[in-house]
Amino acid sequence: MFLEVLISVQKVIGETKKAFLTGNEAIVWGCLAAEAEIMFGYPITPQNEIMHYWTRLAPEYGKGFLQTEDEISAGFTVCGAIQGGIKAFTATAGPGNVLMQEPFGMAEAMRLPVFAVIQQRGGPSSGTVIYSQQEVSLTAFGGNGEGHRIVYSTATHQELYDYTIKGFNTAWKYRFPTFLLGDGYQAKMREPLELYEPSERGIEIIKPHALIGVEGYISEGREPQHLRNIYSMEEELYDVVLGFEAEYNSIKNDIIEYSEFQCEDAELIIISHGVVSRAAEDAVTALRSQGVKAGSFRPITLRPFPREQLLNIIGKSNAKKILIAESALGQLERIVKNEIYGQTLPIETLFMPGVGIIDYDIMQKVKSIL
Amino acid sequence: MTKEFVTRSVEAYVGEYASGKSEIAINRALELIGQGRQVTLVDLDTVEPFYTLRPLQEKLESLGINIICLSAKDAFGLGETGAMLNPKARWALRHEGDIILDIGYGVYGARTLNLVEGAKESKELKIMLVLNYSRPMTNSRERIKEYIKSFDRIDYIIANTHLGDQTTVDIIIKGNQEILAVADEIGLPVAFIAADISLAAELEKQSFSVPIKFINRYMPEAMWS
Repeated sequence: MFLEVLISVQKVIGETKKAFLTGNEAIVWGCLAAEAEIMFGYPITPQNEIMHYWTRLAPEYGKGFLQTEDEISAGFTVCGAIQGGIKAFTATAGPGNVLMQEPFGMAEAMRLPVFAVIQQRGGPSSGTVIYSQQEVSLTAFGGNGEGHRIVYSTATHQELYDYTIKGFNTAWKYRFPTFLLGDGYQAKMREPLELYEPSERGIEIIKPHALIGVEGYISEGREPQHLRNIYSMEEELYDVVLGFEAEYNSIKNDIIEYSEFQCEDAELIIISHGVVSRAAEDAVTALRSQGVKAGSFRPITLRPFPREQLLNIIGKSNAKKILIAESALGQLERIVKNEIYGQTLPIETLFMPGVGIIDYDIMQKVKSIL
Repeated sequence: MTKEFVTRSVEAYVGEYASGKSEIAINRALELIGQGRQVTLVDLDTVEPFYTLRPLQEKLESLGINIICLSAKDAFGLGETGAMLNPKARWALRHEGDIILDIGYGVYGARTLNLVEGAKESKELKIMLVLNYSRPMTNSRERIKEYIKSFDRIDYIIANTHLGDQTTVDIIIKGNQEILAVADEIGLPVAFIAADISLAAELEKQSFSVPIKFINRYMPEAMWS
């Protein structure tokens, strides 16, 4: 059934148009534009409308959906469908993200192009249904062992659409599990954005292909499909993990993305990610109007992290201090400190776990540390 | 029966996410307050009742509206409970004066009206469908017709085409023209066209076949809107 749909892919968006959407809806349109075929999921706020909206559109576009018994199952069914060559995805949040780390870990081990949307909510545990940036560590480094994955942290509805399309392509091109890291505010906010056919922007959607049960015979024109997540020997695993690491390092410069705002002459650089970076950029504009030379740096890929780019920007600026702002108790901070080790500028922090950060919060903090 | 009871307005606002139903409902409640009437505004989002009117409750109460929604205090300790109906909302139609019901959660939300005592039998209740042509599910005549079919009953359409902060006169005119054409075709009355008050000067130069109402935006004060 899916194969037939795949062959006769319909134009989902048609003519480029502006639309007024919630973030969850923008993601669903991105999934359709990326030619995703099936969603497996289990309900959790604040990603529920991804499931609701997908199921509303699925019959119209010949797509599939299965609500599994829990998130562990949702993650594994995505892993299974992908091995069969189906472009599958899931979306979750909070405790659901915890449960999905086991299938995500298998995807790392078997190099399955899983695409998952994480809409962060407050924690620990069920926390709040609303918002946080407390799932950075889990999403970027979750799973047992040291698997490799790619994490895009979005800030606008346009990016939710753009990076959903890009995320599927990244996953299927490199075969590392890829995550779109949003949050409850981005999920629920309403914002205009442009919906477009990827082909209109020169984006070629990568077609899925089966990883098992492929045609032909081993040694007669094809290599064995050896998808493994368990090894008998320590040395064997060691070679595999180092191999993944080498491959990840070889492609990371093609994946890394960041944005910077007025850092050239900045005396203070604010580092933030996701929706908080919007507040940071507003704060930079307001601070500059008051004579404070601030700049903003935002990693779009939290993993791989734009390390060289950040060091370069710090080096070229007049920065005397760095401020890290996040709706968490230091998850971005730990990444940044690790990545820019050796850099001696003092680092100040604005941590508001589970709470929104607006430009005013950042401006007050900046004034207190100048 | 008192005279007030006979002539009161009882209106339920339904529509897609981001169609503008909460904004229209608030503006309608304030319009009625401006006419010296007694108004109760009810938040009937049963699935995520802590998102919609709560952050605006104090402000709207200070403007004279009686608000029925779950306050932060009511919600304390409940966590993620799933669907939940405020008991006060169930009996909302028994309040005196005008009643404005803000119905949440897309198409399915309209069914929560069944939970309001007396809604089915009410001869006063008018169900108002808010349509925004910039929403993909209502951005063609065919889609609007399909969407309207998903409701058991609609009494009036409100044409509220907008793109948030990027709304232009052109977007309003073109989108609402399509909505008006569909309404005409299927025989549903359009109560009015709604537009942000910031565009009033330009829009007043245009002529429309239905009334136009200019609205103030309150929802941006809620962080997710």
